[in-house]
Amino acid sequence: MTGLGKYLAMARTSIEIWFVYRTTFVLNMIGSVFYVFAMFYLWQTIFLGSPGALAGFTWPEMKAYLLVSFVLGSLMPWFAEWNMSMDLKEGRIAIDLARPIDFQASRFASAVGPVPLEFCSAVAVGAVVAFMFGGIALPADGAHAAVFLVSAALATLIRFGLVYCVSMTAFWTTGTDGITVGRMAVQNLLSGALIPLVFFPDWLRAVAAVLPFQGMISTPALTYLGKMDAPTTALMLGVQAFWAIGLILLGRLAWRGAQRVVTINGG
Amino acid sequence: MPIIEARGLTKKFRQAVKEPGLVGSFKHFFNRKYKDKLAVDHIDFSVEAGESVAYLGPNGAGKSTTIKMLTGILVPTSGSLIVDGLVPHEKRQQNARSIGVVFGQRTQLWWDIPVVESFNLARDMYEIPVKRYRDNLAQFTEILGLAKFMNLPAAKISLGQRMRADLCMALLHDPKILYLDEPTIGLDIAVKDRIRQFVRSRVEERGTTVILTTHDLGDIEDICKRIVIIDNGKIIHDGDLAALKDNYARDRVIHFQLARPPESMAPICAGLPACELTTDGLRLSVRFDRFKFAAGEIAAAVMPHVEVVDFRIDEPEVEDLIRKVYLGQLSLSPDAPETGELAGA
Repeated sequence: MTGLGKYLAMARTSIEIWFVYRTTFVLNMIGSVFYVFAMFYLWQTIFLGSPGALAGFTWPEMKAYLLVSFVLGSLMPWFAEWNMSMDLKEGRIAIDLARPIDFQASRFASAVGPVPLEFCSAVAVGAVVAFMFGGIALPADGAHAAVFLVSAALATLIRFGLVYCVSMTAFWTTGTDGITVGRMAVQNLLSGALIPLVFFPDWLRAVAAVLPFQGMISTPALTYLGKMDAPTTALMLGVQAFWAIGLILLGRLAWRGAQRVVTINGG
Repeated sequence: MPIIEARGLTKKFRQAVKEPGLVGSFKHFFNRKYKDKLAVDHIDFSVEAGESVAYLGPNGAGKSTTIKMLTGILVPTSGSLIVDGLVPHEKRQQNARSIGVVFGQRTQLWWDIPVVESFNLARDMYEIPVKRYRDNLAQFTEILGLAKFMNLPAAKISLGQRMRADLCMALLHDPKILYLDEPTIGLDIAVKDRIRQFVRSRVEERGTTVILTTHDLGDIEDICKRIVIIDNGKIIHDGDLAALKDNYARDRVIHFQLARPPESMAPICAGLPACELTTDGLRLSVRFDRFKFAAGEIAAAVMPHVEVVDFRIDEPEVEDLIRKVYLGQLSLSPDAPETGELAGA
């Protein structure tokens, strides 16, 4: 792809915009503190009821799992479908289309720009809560940490690919609220964001295994904890890469169809 | 070779048909009915490089839809369209590099960041060489008077400032074609003048091709030599502005202010065949064909019969003409001329 510079510039701009909304940021932080606190408290209660390990998870591991789940869940806006449907409703999409930019790449640049900031603030919030609950397990060594970072990056790509694909439905339907809520419900369950997949009954685990969602939370969280042996880890990273690429290509295909049906509202 | 060439260009939209009220909504929910609307209906036109064309029509006539096809935003339903050697929707990005677009109703500036940052982003998106960018920015800043609000976010500036900034942004990469979709909507006279002057200078100095849609006829007279009128998706006129005036805006009106009401209209009427006379108390108005009579002849015919205190002449206005066309009171060339000439001109 030529002209990477323009996408870097767009990513930089999205960071600038991120800084403009200071109040929103602070409120989000406060909101997420409550969320993390609630998750930790809930699981602490479960572990207190059955001391030792639950489905192979010790309490310190579970805390680490929850933290990883929270941090990865904080990356990239979850409201992309909503943004897209607003852009369509208000006809703003015409502006994007009149520019010499690839639509998907520009959306990606804008979404990925603030990721480092989102990452740091989520880690800060999560670390404070984790500290209150007596600390968490860390990756066994540098190699594990590096593999985790690769897996986390792939998770972010899957997240983008999925949300972009779903947001394409905005071109065919007028509202995407229901679709967004549905996507999030399925994603929260099948990614392992709320409950590690090992707690699932076999059939549901089998369902999760063939869908992209597990690559968003479960796989990176398990690499963080070093719960998989080397071949399994390699396989799971491969599966993540497959979904990341597959969803991004699917998004491009959907966009081609969308371009044919696009109507610009408001004159 | 024309820079824009459209043949049989058509865009069909599917519209949901809903009966009014709750019952209608309920029915529509279970049984969707649609009808096709031809927003643009087999239009043919071509534009030479360096031309400035006003593209007019009543609301909903298909102007914006045409512009959006030209810019590659909308995919035509049928017909062919070549802009600067490309099919816009197939090579959308490549096409976007050589065009500038201003939509009067929406901004392309980033809402939350200073205006100048939006410009910088345009520099990166269009990959404008640094020197050219600096020169253009300096020049446009001066002509359009942007310095005062350059460092404010777009959300904090006035509509007039926003439009000037939008125009600057659309031209930073020296586009070959500039599309202006109602660029002066809602602006005060001073800003309008500034914008028109700027656009005209681009046409004259750089040979930029301009396609302008507007409801403000001042825009047309200041910028455009040629006008294309579209109604119900069809081109109903395509020709130059002067010819349009000569052919259809032939009538001038002289208003005489009289000292006393005229005793009888008959002798005046007799002296002015083929003119339309109206009186209203102390006023006498004569509508005449400016190619058949000189204003002096009319005055000479009126003066002997009445005592004239004062008089003034109304020139034919493009505005009236266009209004008549929109209202269907005046039909221009019945089949849109292919040659770009007025029928009968």
